Amino acid sequence: MAHSSVPSTEPTAIEKVIAFIDERVGLKQMQAKMLNEPVPGGSRWAYVFGSVLLFIFIMQALTGILLMFYYVPTADHAYASTQYIIHDVDYGWFLLSYHFWGSTAMVVCVFAHMSQVFLWGAYKKPREMIWLVGLALFGIVMGFGFTGYLLPWDQRAYWATTVGVEIMDKTPVLGDFMARFLKGGPTPGQMTLSRFFVIHVMILPAALMGLAGLHLFLFRAAGPAGPFRGTQEEIKAKTDYFFPRQIWKDIVGMAVVFASICALAFWEPVVLLEEATPDPGDYHPEPEWYFLFLFQLLRLKIFAGEFGQFLGAIALPGAFMALLAALPFIDRDPERNIFRRPIALIGWIVVMVSILLFTVSAIINREFLD
Amino acid sequence: MTMQPQLKSKVRCADREIGEVTKVVVDPLSHEISHIVVSMNGSGERQVAMAMVQAVREGTVELRGAASDIAALPPFKREDYVTTHEVEIAHLEEKVHVTPGEVLVPFPELEKSVKRRTFFMNFTHAIGFLIGLPIAFPILRYLMKPMYQPFDNGWLKIGNVGKIKQDDIGVQFKYKKKVKEAYMPESEIEKNVWILKATPAVLEKVYQGKDMEFRDATGKAVWTNKKEVPYVAFSGKCPHLGCGYKWRAHKVLGQVFLCPCHLSIYDASGKVLDGPAPRPLDALPIKVSSTGEVEIIDMEFKAGTKSQIRII
Repeated sequence: MAHSSVPSTEPTAIEKVIAFIDERVGLKQMQAKMLNEPVPGGSRWAYVFGSVLLFIFIMQALTGILLMFYYVPTADHAYASTQYIIHDVDYGWFLLSYHFWGSTAMVVCVFAHMSQVFLWGAYKKPREMIWLVGLALFGIVMGFGFTGYLLPWDQRAYWATTVGVEIMDKTPVLGDFMARFLKGGPTPGQMTLSRFFVIHVMILPAALMGLAGLHLFLFRAAGPAGPFRGTQEEIKAKTDYFFPRQIWKDIVGMAVVFASICALAFWEPVVLLEEATPDPGDYHPEPEWYFLFLFQLLRLKIFAGEFGQFLGAIALPGAFMALLAALPFIDRDPERNIFRRPIALIGWIVVMVSILLFTVSAIINREFLD
Repeated sequence: MTMQPQLKSKVRCADREIGEVTKVVVDPLSHEISHIVVSMNGSGERQVAMAMVQAVREGTVELRGAASDIAALPPFKREDYVTTHEVEIAHLEEKVHVTPGEVLVPFPELEKSVKRRTFFMNFTHAIGFLIGLPIAFPILRYLMKPMYQPFDNGWLKIGNVGKIKQDDIGVQFKYKKKVKEAYMPESEIEKNVWILKATPAVLEKVYQGKDMEFRDATGKAVWTNKKEVPYVAFSGKCPHLGCGYKWRAHKVLGQVFLCPCHLSIYDASGKVLDGPAPRPLDALPIKVSSTGEVEIIDMEFKAGTKSQIRII
């Protein structure tokens, strides 16, 4: 950093403006602090997911706001206004499809981000709170997916919501209240659409922004975990700052994700089914692909009956999330190397393989239904 | 913890004093001071490793070796470093104590006489709570407005049983139902029920020898399906999780009601043959006129429960 360089010419107008702001808020120091964050062991491609998620969220907010210029959240106009966006508004199909595939990209990156933190042992002391806030953010992302799905008000939307809310209804004691509260009545209708709309465009974005800010603050307060292998000297020798190498990798990651979402939006644009109505016709209801494993799980005989359903739909996912939340407090061994944490490694593989198996069997099952 | 070298401390070598500490260098990983920077009484600055420090005292730092050894070190390169204000290393600044003494700011005059700070803090919380409390209930009631609605016991004409050609076969009757939700204009939604012309054996399985009573929210009976009437109407909603099921051929079980969502399978009488459903299909109140016109009460029951719980 050159501190002694003396400007040889008069400062330009832009430099004056920057100097004006800097004098009042300490802009340059703030920027330096943001960029000069040591990345222990050096930048890596594995670290891009957090930044990529932030990028995806910003794009979802942008495309989401644009969709609201035409979308009308009423039972008699939601479907027509969405069709209008797709068929009549210039590039409406693209922005809507980008928003749709963006949500898929978000889920994929959340899985990658969480897996990476888990495998790197980065949830351990002193980073427990980052992990907990991260889990809350995971819940918010799932909530975005669930509420956003209803808004086009087509058959897919209607049935995913019907089944999803029925599942919530199985929560002991509070279930009935929660389901009615969300639906705004005994069955899905205008009140459900209004509620899901408000949750999707106001409550969840506000919650996500707040918690993502907290997540970043906690991350900066604890510092990056760095690699799980290597001595202090080796790590120190490879350490660089967030800028430029990690930011470079992050921006490449963002560009790849952006290009992928655009490609998907282009080749697989969103097509609506028939308008929502309580008669499914020939449509076989199915949730979005990232909920397929849960959907398939509920087909199992062991989750049959009232109690079985509670077990499969509420107790099992609930226990899994509780386990994830308790993880940093149960697993107190400071060892972070995944190859020396056999239970963690096997656990991760088992979870991933079962999700994969259940998803694949749900897809195979489709054939037998037609 | 041993004392950290203080800024402005005099630096003394074995033979003589050589200058004072102007800067310290901190290791970003261990957060320990790794070097001190000594201004050599006007002849530049030298960076001296902590290994060369013999002792740190109040106001002085003593080095091993002679003054000439220190002077022989290369000059300190400021451009190789950033200040702790320009870098974000967690908890770095709180571990560095190189400024002698404490830096203080005076309390404002008005604050000096305030005795009950805790009381004021608690009082602030109490007032905040008193603001929140009276709006909590209105907000809850506001949001709960549409949640519970009276049941609709009106009869709906849905078609003619003339289209049923065979006994014990599920036949779908689609119908439109007018709904009026709050401020919304009246609209029509499409629904369906499955109607069966049952043989006595199947009828026996449905009714198990008893007439079937249907009740209002208050428990008042609104209709009774007589066990001799051969027409049975099943609600189109799967009692597992509320999808729409179909009448179709199954490789092993023959003609059955099958739900494509979670693969619940029911026989013609609505009994669960396979899959996760917790109870049989829901029979609805049905009236068939002498001309074959069918009317039903479009009840809905909560899915996923063992017992029938009516919701509309």
